[in-house]
Parts: sequence; structure tokens; C-alpha cells
Amino acid sequence: MPEVTRTLTIESVSAFNGLDVLVARDEGLFSAEGLDVQIARPRSAQRSASSAADRGTLVQPASNQGQLLDRHAADLFQG
Amino acid sequence: MVACGALVVAPGSDVYTPQDLAHKLVGLDYGNGTAYAGLQMLEGAVPREAITTCAASANAAERFAALQRGEFEATVLQEPYITVAAKAGCRLVSTTFFYGTWVGDPNLDPEAQAAFLRAITRAVDRVNQDKRQYFRYFLQDWAGRPEVDALVCEDFDLGRIQLKRPGPIPERDARRAWDWMVSWGVLEGSFDPARQLDNRVAAQVAARVL
Repeated sequence: MPEVTRTLTIESVSAFNGLDVLVARDEGLFSAEGLDVQIARPRSAQRSASSAADRGTLVQPASNQGQLLDRHAADLFQG
Repeated sequence: MVACGALVVAPGSDVYTPQDLAHKLVGLDYGNGTAYAGLQMLEGAVPREAITTCAASANAAERFAALQRGEFEATVLQEPYITVAAKAGCRLVSTTFFYGTWVGDPNLDPEAQAAFLRAITRAVDRVNQDKRQYFRYFLQDWAGRPEVDALVCEDFDLGRIQLKRPGPIPERDARRAWDWMVSWGVLEGSFDPARQLDNRVAAQVAARVL
């Protein structure tokens, strides 16, 4: 098994539930590839928007997939 | 990964088909794939001018709770909340499936990306061999919520849990999705495959026998 040589941060996306990522992590498939994969959650997934206005509009949504990647706080997301 | 999205109505609703949702309020988590899946399901059933939506929480548990409170006539849920809703007597009036594609930072090391996709490919193969063995992972993000903790494997329609090996996105599909989003005002400009689509690593990994 190779030593961990790279750390990757991926952005969690709830629609996909992370099934493949969690299995790869827990069954050592990432470490077998020399990866240490960290799962980051965007702030919008951690707290509730208090009102509809806080959630934006179709054209200007308040939350979107890839927001951590946009801020260079993640390397990958599933969108 | 493939996600299932379902248009769901409360038990007492008089909506039985997506056509019945014409001019009725549908709560969507704008900015997320489930919202776009919702628009596509509605668009296949009613004219655009009859599609009426409002902003709903990006959290499926909160959307389900808002549906039960009557804040909107329908919403789009993904698993495990499709199963939670069905157990609560809600009706699924339409379901669809959509791809999740791994999108990487432009500066991501291609070797690291390839290693990640190889690991994901192997995970997909393992899950597809026996979904029941892995279904517990499907609940992990929602652990501690009574309605989810109460679910057992037999509650799930495993046909709604679909995984596919990661692979390149066909340019025609990317272009169609882009143009569709432009038509809703979500994106602006023209699709440029040189800027918006880089399949090189995904194609290399998909071409290898793992």
C-alpha cells in the first residue's frame, strides 16, 4: 500500500449522499491510491436559512454546489 | 454517482400527477441539482408559464418539514427523504435521475485527480455488487434524525439507488445542459467546451481496466 502522498479536500453535496466517497474512504481505496481525502461541508449545508429571502432566487441562489471550490477551500465537488 | 429526485406532495394533497401542479407552488432549493431536476420534471408536464416555484431550504429534512407544514404544494426530495416521505404517506408524483459529475479545481494535480477517480470507480463497483451491504452509508449524513434512524434497508426501493463509474461528459450533453440553464436565466453566455469541459483525466481513467 503506498504512503499517503497527497491530501484532497472534497465538498460534500447532499443530493449524492457521498455513498461512493464514504465506501472508498472506509474501505481504504483512497489510501491505496496514496490519498488522504477530507470531506468539507459548505456553510449552507450546516445551517438553515431563516427565511425564503435568505435562500435567494432561481437566478441568484443563496447556496450552490461548488461554493467551497469557488473559494479554493476544496479541490473537488460533485455537481 | 447518480441521484434520484422525486416530486413529492403531502398525503392530503389533491395533486396526483405533475400536470396537477400547474400554477401550484413548488418549493425548490435553488442553486442545487435537485431544484433543476424539479424544473425539468415540471417542464415535461406543464407550460413554463404555469410553473410556480419558491425558494426552499437546501436541506432535504427542512424541505420535507415545510411540505408537511403546508408551505408549498410540492417539493423535490432525494434519498433518504424520498423514503421518509413515502413512509409518512406522501405521494411521489414524478421521479427522475441525474448525474453527479466530479468537478475539479483547474489547478488540481491531474495525477491526484486520476487517483481519486480510480478509488471512486472501485467503490462504485463494490456498492453495485451488493447495495444492501452498503445502504447504511446512505443514512450516515442524516444520523440522529428520528425519521431517518427509523429506516431499515427493506424500506428502500434500491432501484432509486444507482451508481455509475465516473467518466467523461459527452460534449453534446454538457452543451444541452448549459443551453437549458441559459434558457432559465441561471447562466449567461455561450457554451465553450475549451473553457468549460476538460474530460482528459476522466477519459484516461475510464479507458483503463481496473
